[in-house]
Amino acid sequence: MSKTIFVNGKEYPIDVPENMPLLWFLRDRLAFTGTKFGCGKGLCGACTVHVDGQATRACVMPVTALAGRKVTTIEGLSEDASHPLQKAWLEVGVPQCGYCQAGQIMNAASLLSKNVSPTEKEIDDAMQGNICRCGTYQRIKKAINIAATELANYDLAKEVS
Amino acid sequence: MRADIESLLVAQREKQEQSFTVKPLSLTLNRRQFLKATAVGSCGLVVGISLNASANASSAKQAAEFNPNAFIHLQKDGSVLIYCGRCEMGQGISTALPSVVADEMEADWSRVTVEQAEGDQDKYGSQATGGSASIRTMYEPMRKAGAVAREMLVAAAAKVWATSPDNCYAENHFVINKTNQQKLSYGELASVAATMPTPENPTLKAKSDFRYIGSHLPRHDVSLVIQGKRQYGVDTKVDGMQYAAIVHCPVMGGTLKSVDKTEAMKVQGVTAVVEIAPMKVPFGSLGGVAVVANNSWSAQQGVEKLKVEWDRGEHGSYNTSDYMKMLVENVEKPANKITERGDVESAFANAAHKVSATYTEGHLVHAPMEPNASVVSVQDGACEVWASTQSPDDIQSVLSQFLGIDKKAIKVNVMISGGAFGRKFKCDYVQEAAAISKAVGTPIQLTWTREEDTRTGFYHSNSAQHIEASLDKDGNVTGWLHRAAFPSINTLFDPSVQFAPANAMSEVENHPYGIANLRSESGLAPAHTRIGWYRAVYAIFWGFAYGVFTDELAEKAGVDTATMLRRLYDSNSNPKQAEQVRRSRGVLDLVVAQSGYGKALPEGEGIGIAVHHSFLSYVAMAVHVRMKGDDFEVLRVDSAVDCGQVLNKDGATAQQEGAVAMGISLAKYCEVSFENGAVVNSNFHDYPVMRINDMPDVHVHFVDSDAKPTGLGEPGMAPFAPALSNAIYQASGTRYRSLPIQPMRT
Repeated sequence: MSKTIFVNGKEYPIDVPENMPLLWFLRDRLAFTGTKFGCGKGLCGACTVHVDGQATRACVMPVTALAGRKVTTIEGLSEDASHPLQKAWLEVGVPQCGYCQAGQIMNAASLLSKNVSPTEKEIDDAMQGNICRCGTYQRIKKAINIAATELANYDLAKEVS
Repeated sequence: MRADIESLLVAQREKQEQSFTVKPLSLTLNRRQFLKATAVGSCGLVVGISLNASANASSAKQAAEFNPNAFIHLQKDGSVLIYCGRCEMGQGISTALPSVVADEMEADWSRVTVEQAEGDQDKYGSQATGGSASIRTMYEPMRKAGAVAREMLVAAAAKVWATSPDNCYAENHFVINKTNQQKLSYGELASVAATMPTPENPTLKAKSDFRYIGSHLPRHDVSLVIQGKRQYGVDTKVDGMQYAAIVHCPVMGGTLKSVDKTEAMKVQGVTAVVEIAPMKVPFGSLGGVAVVANNSWSAQQGVEKLKVEWDRGEHGSYNTSDYMKMLVENVEKPANKITERGDVESAFANAAHKVSATYTEGHLVHAPMEPNASVVSVQDGACEVWASTQSPDDIQSVLSQFLGIDKKAIKVNVMISGGAFGRKFKCDYVQEAAAISKAVGTPIQLTWTREEDTRTGFYHSNSAQHIEASLDKDGNVTGWLHRAAFPSINTLFDPSVQFAPANAMSEVENHPYGIANLRSESGLAPAHTRIGWYRAVYAIFWGFAYGVFTDELAEKAGVDTATMLRRLYDSNSNPKQAEQVRRSRGVLDLVVAQSGYGKALPEGEGIGIAVHHSFLSYVAMAVHVRMKGDDFEVLRVDSAVDCGQVLNKDGATAQQEGAVAMGISLAKYCEVSFENGAVVNSNFHDYPVMRINDMPDVHVHFVDSDAKPTGLGEPGMAPFAPALSNAIYQASGTRYRSLPIQPMRT
C-alpha cells in the first residue's frame, strides 16, 4: 500500500513525483489553492501550513517526508472562519491584496498555540519570516493581539486535522 | 456564485479522492452558466452605463440596458450585484467604486455582492488600472450609475402607489411613501423599475446624505481571504490544463543560441519543451524556453535541467555601478535644456549663499507576493485568458497581434492580483502562456518563479539628480538649476530615446515652489533594460531629491524645514499653481501639528519632514527615527493627506500604511543590480524587502475636503524616503543622498 498523508482531516495517497514539495502537492494535486507560492525557497512564508500543529514552509518540505503526518492548510484552520485569528483579521481589516495572508495567519496560529500572550518583540520575532509587500504589518500585529486575548476562550479542537 | 464554485470544488475534490489522479478542476463553464442564469432567470433591474474609452465623466453617456455585464444587477430577491470595471490588486478599488454606486443607489451594503468585470472596454470604460487614476476618473460615473438606479426605483414605487415621485424617497434598500410611510423593498420594485424611463441627469446626493462615502467601510473580500478562498490568477484551474515554467533570456534584446532539452524531458511529468521567440512589442515576451508538465513542480524541475546558451546581444555589457557613475557625471556637467524661466546665471552670480548636491537611486523591481501568472487557452481562432492583470485591454491588444485574431475573440477574465505595483500592467507573461498553449494545444497555466520575476522585470529607472540653488542674504531661494539623468519609460516604446524627454522632466517646471529663476536639464541616459512603471514612478526620485535638498536649504538659511517649505510655497505667485500651493501648505501644516515636529527629542532621535504632490494628491510625512549604532529604527510616521473627498477612510489609511512599508523597503534595502547585461539579484535573500520588525506606528490624518476625489495608490510613496533621510540627519548628523541608504543595508 502506498504512503498516505492527512490534509485537513482527510487521508490522501502520496502519488506524486519524488521530492515534490508539499506546496505543489496541495496546490496542483489536491487543489487546495489557499496555500500560496511566493518564493520557492522558504524565504517569504506565503506557503506556511501546519504539520502536526507546527508552522512549516510547504515550498521546501518534500511531501514524501510527511507520510502519516497531519497537515492543516488555511482551508482547514476552522470550518467556518471562527478561529480567533480569522475573526480578528476580519475585525481589523488586515488584508490588502491578501496573497500572503494565509501564510501570515497560519504562522500566527502556530505562535499563539505556543504562546497565548506574546510581547511585541515575540510577535516580531515569530512573524519575521512572512513578507507582506502591501505593508499590512501594523494591522497584523494589532489582529494578533486581539486574537491572543480571545484565544483563552477558544476551543483549539476546532482545527480540522 | 461563490457557493456554487465551492460546491463544485468539493465535488471535484471528492472525485479526485476516488480516482487518485491529477485532474484539473473546471470553474469556467460553471461561471458562465451562472452568469447566464442570472441574466435570464432572476434578474430584475439592470443598470448599465456606457463609458467611452477615456472614461471622462462629463462625456459619459447615460444609458440603461438589459445587459448581463452592466454595472448594477438588482435581483428580485433584493440582492445587488455590482461589477467593478477597474482591476483589483490590493489597493481596494473593488470596494471603493462599488460602495460609491451603492451609496448613491441607497442600497444596503450588506445586500451587495461585488464581482470583477471581465475585460471589455466598450462596456466598462478604460480598465487600465494605474496612475492612481481609478477614483478620479470613475467617481462621477459611478455616482451617476447609482443615482439612475435610485431614481428608477423611486419612479417605480410612485407608479405602484399612483403618486408622484416627489412624494417618495429611497432609504437603505426601500422606497418610502412620504404621505403614509408605506414601504416597498428594492427587490419588490425591481421588475417595475426596469420598465421606468432612464433619467438623463439624475440628482446626486448631498455630502451630508452620504451613507458609505467617507466612512470606514470594510473591504468586501476579507472573509474570502482569511479562508484561503480568494481566487488569484495563479489559482485558476481549467479542464485539460497543463502547467508551465519558463527561463528567459537574461538580457534585453538577446537571443537564444541553443537549447538541449534531453535531461528536461526525462523529468517525471514533463510533456514538452517550447521555445518562446521574443515578441518585439513593448509588453511582449523577452524570449525564453518553457517546460510543460502535469504539475508546476515538474515544470520548474524541467527548466532547471535545460542546457541553454544565449547570445546576450547589444546590452550584454550593462553594468549598473558603471552606469550610475556615468549618470552622476552627466548631471554634474551641463546637459540638454528642457525648460527655463528667469535668469539662473545672474541669480547665482548675485547669491549670498549657494547650495548644491547630487542624489541617486538604483533600479527597483516590483516583487509582488504573487509572481506573474496566468492561464491561457488558445483554441480554434479563439482565446480565453484568466490573468492577474492591471490592463485587460493590453492583453487583448497584444494577444490579438500575436495570434492574428480579433480582439473581441479574446475573452479576458480579470483575476485579483496578489500585488502588482505596476508590473502587471505589462502582459509579457500572458503572451508567453498563449504561445505555449498554441504550441501544445491545451490550456496552459504559466507561473514564473520568483527568480524569473526578479530577473525579467520592467525596472524602475535608476537615476541621478544634481541641484544647485542660490539664496539671498535673508535666506530666500532665488535660483534653482535641476539636472536629472534617468532612462525613461519612453525608451520602452522608442528605444532610440537617449535623454528623458520633457514629459518625463515636467516635475521641475510644475513643482509648486515659487522660484523666479529656474532651469531644468536632462542628461544622457540610454536604456539597457526594460524600464517600466513602478508604484509612484518618477515621483519616488523627484520626491527624494526635492525633500532632502529642501532640508539642506533650510540648514543653510538657518531655519527649520517647515519654515523653508512655507517660504518656498508662499513665494509662488503663479495663479495657475495657487491650488497646489494651498493644498501643499495644508498637508504640511497638518503634519507639523500632528507629529510633534520641532519638539525637543532625546539624543540620537530625529523627526524629518517632506511634502510631495503627485497623481493630483498631496501627502506630507513626518518620520521619527532613533539611531541604533549604524542602524536606525523608525518609531512613528505621521502622514497628512489631501486627496479631496475621501471615498473610504479605511482603504485610504491602508494605502498610506502600505506606502510607508514600501518606502522603508526602497529606502533601506531594495536595489536591482546588473552585471554583463543581466540582473544579479534573484530572490528575497539578495533582494531583501522590509519585514514586520521594521514596521513603525503609522498615523494617518486627512484634510477635510470637498474637492474632487483623487487616488492614493501611489502618492504616499514619494515623501517617505526624504523625510527619513532628513530625520536621520537630524538624529546623527549624517546626510544620506542615495537610495537605498547603503551603509545601513543588512
